[in-house]
Amino acid sequence: MAYPADCPVAGFGVRGCGAMLARPAECRDNMGREERLRIGVCIKQVPDTDSHLRIADSGRGIDDSDLNWVISSCDLCALEEALLLAEAEASGGEERPELVVFSLGPSRVEEALRKALALGADRAVHLAGEALQGGDALADGCALASALAKEHCDLVLTGAQSDDLGQAATPAVIAEVLGCPYAWLVMAVELDSRRGSLRIVRELEGGMNEVLRLDLPAVLAIQAGINKPRFASLRGTLQARKKPLRREDCADVDVGLVGTAGAGTETEAVALPPAGAGGVVIEGVSAEAAAGELIAHLEREAVL
Amino acid sequence: MAAPVVWLVEGAGGGPGTQEVRACGRALGGDSRVALLEEERVGPYSPGLYAEALRVLISRESGGEPAAPTVVLLPHTYQSAEYAPGLALRLGAAYIASVGSAMVNDGGGLRFGRAILQGRLRAEVRPKRRVVVATVQIGGFGGGEPVESPEQVFEVGRPADIERHRERETLGREAAGVGGVDLPGAERIVTAGRGVGGPDEVSVAADLASALDAELGASRPVVDNGWLPREHQVGSSGHVVAPNLYVALGVSGSIQHLMGMSGSRIIVAINKDPEAPIFSVAHYGIVADLHDVAPALTRLLKAGRSS
Repeated sequence: MAYPADCPVAGFGVRGCGAMLARPAECRDNMGREERLRIGVCIKQVPDTDSHLRIADSGRGIDDSDLNWVISSCDLCALEEALLLAEAEASGGEERPELVVFSLGPSRVEEALRKALALGADRAVHLAGEALQGGDALADGCALASALAKEHCDLVLTGAQSDDLGQAATPAVIAEVLGCPYAWLVMAVELDSRRGSLRIVRELEGGMNEVLRLDLPAVLAIQAGINKPRFASLRGTLQARKKPLRREDCADVDVGLVGTAGAGTETEAVALPPAGAGGVVIEGVSAEAAAGELIAHLEREAVL
Repeated sequence: MAAPVVWLVEGAGGGPGTQEVRACGRALGGDSRVALLEEERVGPYSPGLYAEALRVLISRESGGEPAAPTVVLLPHTYQSAEYAPGLALRLGAAYIASVGSAMVNDGGGLRFGRAILQGRLRAEVRPKRRVVVATVQIGGFGGGEPVESPEQVFEVGRPADIERHRERETLGREAAGVGGVDLPGAERIVTAGRGVGGPDEVSVAADLASALDAELGASRPVVDNGWLPREHQVGSSGHVVAPNLYVALGVSGSIQHLMGMSGSRIIVAINKDPEAPIFSVAHYGIVADLHDVAPALTRLLKAGRSS
């Protein structure tokens, strides 16, 4: 499946990247059928939500010297959804799609990629190039889009938002750069690989969902709760050591689009959120005492 | 440095987040105008179509290279936060999502504040480009005081090649859950968070809800884990509620949860983590194990009623 030749990213300096991203006709095999479907999953390594967070001395970020790093929760759901789609294809008599997992970051992200391989992904691509680091969602989305295009992914899945920055922007940027249909907050996916299309359910406000049809290639941002991610088996963990993990530096992408140079924003400062507006902290010596004090307050507020 | 030109993207008749977008625009000062985006004129929504329609209007009115910094503000809704990053890319703009504060500093530079790490920290973000697209957090801006719409209104038109930008097909809409829970109409709500621990322990929240004659709510992780059905979910992706009394049990308080309940009159938070963001909106906070305090509350309330 070809990406549109006219990449819509005019004015951003990547006009014409559609040609770079286009899947060449010779990629199809000579049997007359399309080659094996390939699903790309982008995962981000983030600090564990339960980590104790300290502000770095620079005041511009968090101190990362003593953090537990995990795969962002929505990205884990995206990987699980990719595994489920691949299994459904295989059990429906189709060839099992290949799953390639991508992550951008320093060397520690290879741990996240190995975990994804242990969970069942076939190959991993680490966007490790020095020039790719330090970007924001725009820059990271461009780098990931270029790596995804190089691997000719037919379907791209990633989390709806990250647990650290939570901008919900990277998947939209990937779709925009690839010139693909896009949906955010996806709660169900059905793949029709023969027709090259997807039927998806997307979450809306107020407890409503909408049902959409998209053609491949497409980018889906998966919402938490779509599935329950599996745990890695010992066998999977052992197999993961032997699966291919490739380092990618996206050397063919304009360095002005990625990393610090491609970032549209800079974080000036991070701080603890402002304290609550005069909230009362109840410190009873026992649970009974605290409960009694709370009830007295609530009676005074006339809410009981 | 010139005052910024501020575009406020509004739908027909306002829509969710309109007040917050206007309040954010006012905080930035400068020359505000409305980009009025109506489905009747532009066509049925798809991310590519709406991004393109806004790009055409804003680049035309900016005359190529804008002389003043330009800020495009949209509400952080399920629709506009879907296409706003694409709009930023098309405009060559910086993108900042879900801002809770905005200002122009002494040197004329723009600064936006936003929650990071699920509300545990706040970041001050500086755009490095002349044009900025930002979405504004709903419930996090303005404080309820109505803000007038700017007088200058530009209608967003239909892009020339509509089919090329309509890249997906809407097949229909459906309710996400089943009924039976009336959270929006409730006077009191007791919400179970991830801190309750598991499906068998949700009863600690249900018992307190019953003693308070309250509806039972749930945070997103509780619903995602299947401990309670989705119709109990409070937050921007579930029900937005504002009862007289809101009791959060073991709820850490992600930004999406706070958006769904911070308008409640009296908020009580019980959580053993003193750093939990829920305490930033609570009127009464108890830093303790909810499995000790909630049953004690239930007992005292029941004893009070029977006496």
